[in-house]
Amino acid sequence: MDLLERFAKGDDAAFEALFRQFEREVYGWILRIVRDPAAAEDLTVETFWRIYKARARFDPQAPFGAWARRIATNLAIDHLRCRRSEQELPEQLGAPGAPNPALQREAREQIQRAFRRLPAKLQAAATLAFIEEKSYDEISDALGVSIGAVRLRMFRAVRILRKEFNRMGLKP
Amino acid sequence: MTKLENHDDVRAILKKGFPRIRAADEEPRRDLWPAMLRKLDAHALRQRVPWYDWALLGALAGTLAFFPTSILLFMYHL
Repeated sequence: MDLLERFAKGDDAAFEALFRQFEREVYGWILRIVRDPAAAEDLTVETFWRIYKARARFDPQAPFGAWARRIATNLAIDHLRCRRSEQELPEQLGAPGAPNPALQREAREQIQRAFRRLPAKLQAAATLAFIEEKSYDEISDALGVSIGAVRLRMFRAVRILRKEFNRMGLKP
Repeated sequence: MTKLENHDDVRAILKKGFPRIRAADEEPRRDLWPAMLRKLDAHALRQRVPWYDWALLGALAGTLAFFPTSILLFMYHL
């Protein structure tokens, strides 16, 4: 019997085999969204726990990786929602390209803070598209929404970020 | 991807704030299977003990908490 079929029927050895096979991929995907290795590790375990609990509903003909990625993305978004910072940003900031490393570090932190203030769903979509350069197809698959919805999220994220970056005096 | 060209300014700023994840960082720093096993074991324990046993245990703990003198009585019967 196929590994996925055995997993769907509740075979624990098959689950372990799938865990070993997809652990790195799931961890890497979550890390790209939450950008925190410790949180990514915990969320990876949580993802596989949810996979384990939902194994009876899994269709062995469907790709396991895509299913795992979608569960992982939802968990990562929940994590971002909890972590979302409420800090106020200063009005002005030195240019991030300035030669002073302290200024560069400060600029980086300001960019990150501004980004973390986006709603979690927009953060996830913008991280994957802009920083990790994933395609809209891949993002829509992971988020479980249409490409149109991804475009809309990107549009909203860009509008908020552009306003925020302008307010902070940041230029590309 | 047609709209992405219009977002180059935001993309450039974000890239300064967030370095891309390197392939070397994609590996978890520890083996995650033991943590997974702990979760599975805890689940198995919850499955093994029926709910009314947990309810009984809860009721007993509540009784002992509200009537501490009954601890002696309880221990006498053990």
